[in-house]
Amino acid sequence: MRLTIEHHTHYQYSEQVARSTQYLRLTPRPSVRQHIVRWDLDMPEAAAQTTDAFGNILHVLTLDKPHDEIRIRAHGVVEINPDQPVAAGNGLSPLVYQRFTRFTRPDQALLDFATGFERPRSSDDLAALSAAIIERIPYTAGETDATSTAAQAFTGGKGVCQDHTHVLLSVCRQLGLPARYVSGYLYTEDSSHVASHAWAEVWMNDHWYTVDVTNQSLKPDQHLRLAVGMDYLDACPVRGVRYGGGPEQLHTFALVERVETGEQ
Amino acid sequence: MTMKVSDISPSGFDEMYLSNDEARPHYATFCDWLSRQPADVLSRKQREAELLFHRVGITFNVYGEAHGTERLIPFDSLPRMIPAQDWADLERGIHQRVRALNLFLHDIYHEQAIIKAGLIPAEQVFCNAHYQPCMQGVDLPNQVYAQISGVDLIRDGRGDWYVLEDNLRTPSGVSYMIENRRMMMRLFPDLFTRHAVAPVDHYPSLLLETLQQATLASSPRVVLLTPGRFNSAYFEHAFLAQQMGIELVEGADLFVKDGFVFMRTTAGPQRVDVIYRRIDDDYLDPLAFNPDSMLGVPGLMSVYRAGNVMLANAIGTGVADDKSIYPYVPEMVRFYLDEEPVLKNVPTFQCRKPRELQHVLANLGELVVKEVHGAGGYGMLVGPASTREEIESFRQRIKDNPDNYIAQPTLSLSTCPIFVEGGIAPRHIDLRPFVLTGREIHIVPGGLTRVAMKEGSLVVNSSQGGGTKDTWVLEAPSC
Repeated sequence: MRLTIEHHTHYQYSEQVARSTQYLRLTPRPSVRQHIVRWDLDMPEAAAQTTDAFGNILHVLTLDKPHDEIRIRAHGVVEINPDQPVAAGNGLSPLVYQRFTRFTRPDQALLDFATGFERPRSSDDLAALSAAIIERIPYTAGETDATSTAAQAFTGGKGVCQDHTHVLLSVCRQLGLPARYVSGYLYTEDSSHVASHAWAEVWMNDHWYTVDVTNQSLKPDQHLRLAVGMDYLDACPVRGVRYGGGPEQLHTFALVERVETGEQ
Repeated sequence: MTMKVSDISPSGFDEMYLSNDEARPHYATFCDWLSRQPADVLSRKQREAELLFHRVGITFNVYGEAHGTERLIPFDSLPRMIPAQDWADLERGIHQRVRALNLFLHDIYHEQAIIKAGLIPAEQVFCNAHYQPCMQGVDLPNQVYAQISGVDLIRDGRGDWYVLEDNLRTPSGVSYMIENRRMMMRLFPDLFTRHAVAPVDHYPSLLLETLQQATLASSPRVVLLTPGRFNSAYFEHAFLAQQMGIELVEGADLFVKDGFVFMRTTAGPQRVDVIYRRIDDDYLDPLAFNPDSMLGVPGLMSVYRAGNVMLANAIGTGVADDKSIYPYVPEMVRFYLDEEPVLKNVPTFQCRKPRELQHVLANLGELVVKEVHGAGGYGMLVGPASTREEIESFRQRIKDNPDNYIAQPTLSLSTCPIFVEGGIAPRHIDLRPFVLTGREIHIVPGGLTRVAMKEGSLVVNSSQGGGTKDTWVLEAPSC
């Protein structure tokens, strides 16, 4: 399946920002699962490209002159081969994904919730866990934000893909299974859905299993991976620090469309 | 002036005295000198030292103390002496240990041979919060991770040396080693004519050489990155930068651009090649680690991973000096160097192992229990010195989270006399030699002797009210 992606990120600041530095994880890594036909990143200035701890492609954008907005546009065409396995990574032991992080550290309620499960051994076990999470946290936009932890979302009982993923990571790690956060894009027939997405990969039987709690799916056939990490902070598309600028407004827009075969 | 007969503990090991009326041979000259000093001269010298230290500004911030966060570290003017032969053995052992620890760090961030060989469980390394994924596969010049390390040594009741812990992150205290020596030379110049004391004042130049060797860049620019003046060791940061003639910078003085790190200067941005950082991993780059940190440099990790700036020490060294990894260091020496360890570890019970936990819980009153990731003497239980209530509350903490604790027998720790009101009296001490690893390993003779100033206390950490002494490695038998 061939997809076109158009992803805009626009920060507006109420005052001048003296300087800022951003880590951008907005370029998908090529793999047997995803062939990058073309990909471009438009930014206010050229940014150095490197890779991060988890093998993600990272651009480091420093703006050292005063600015009151940052516009970033990622766009490209990617061919997805959903039957291919998820790559193991960059030599990093999966065990690091068993550590708790600020977003996945359980509170008593999450500890109690996890005791209701055995350590998953099969896709069915993962599906059951995923179903139990969506039951406790039905998809609800606007109740949580990018700083909400798994524990907070679990207590609130409402959340979005980021929250679902953090809760799954927290429970899997409690049960002794490494699990990692994936950020990326999701293709849906209905383009009114949010195309930016997050899901989890769980290390079981020496393989990474995809678990998309929000969509109750274990098959990543419409998923384009951008970045992985221990939680949202490692994998989020844009993470920055700025000096000055006052309150900010963030506008994002992401569109994923299918290209019929033969079309370029 | 001599110590009173009742002072030396019959079961302990005193560095100065063999028995109540007999000095050890390497202290003979000193004790003879001491016996001829009028009591008021020594107390006057001690007061003079305190006054001078106040003027120099050697202070230490103490966490968890209600008032006066800044205070003077007590200095004692009786030197701790180590005979040349003892030091030669120690030096060999420290050298060996630091070599093995650096090889271990390179290994776990590359091939992980020691784990594959089954000598250390994979979870112990990879699930450890100090194992930094960002270091996996990163190559460092000369494969050195800990350019600066401190190895804490103690002696038991028989005088046998043990390594209490390794410090491979940002070990502090070396400024006291240097300042204590300067103070002693000022107070008692005649003593230095009677003893061949190995010098320590070349430490800053050795440190600068070591830092320059951390990079492959030619004529590298080195800076010292401090968290700022509220940090407990700020004095030391300023002192070392000044001694080395390098810039002392805070995070906001540095920025990342086009794949390099620059320092803001009045003459425009200057590229930085090596950062001697005295900031913990978690605070170094808010974009890679703790996002709330204002101390670090946004983007620093991306430059470091690309090899365009060097950090001393490297990121992720904490996994090797963690108390949960400590029990494996002798195995590291055998595995990487194919040698028998020269220095002994203190026998350590790992509470994560059920059988060892059982033993620990049954013997809490006799053991020292420590948090595996703790440092600075915080969060520990010294069984024999604790009340029943303290022991019981600690028991619960261990049961709640056994993986978080290790326990060791309470070693008596050797004593060395300190100057007290009306005479001298023994106090427990340890020793932290400082090790510099560039292309070669250098150990400045001696190190920092820390003293538990309270009678009977075994806690020497300056954060817990410990003091310091000058440490003399005697180069030849004194005349």
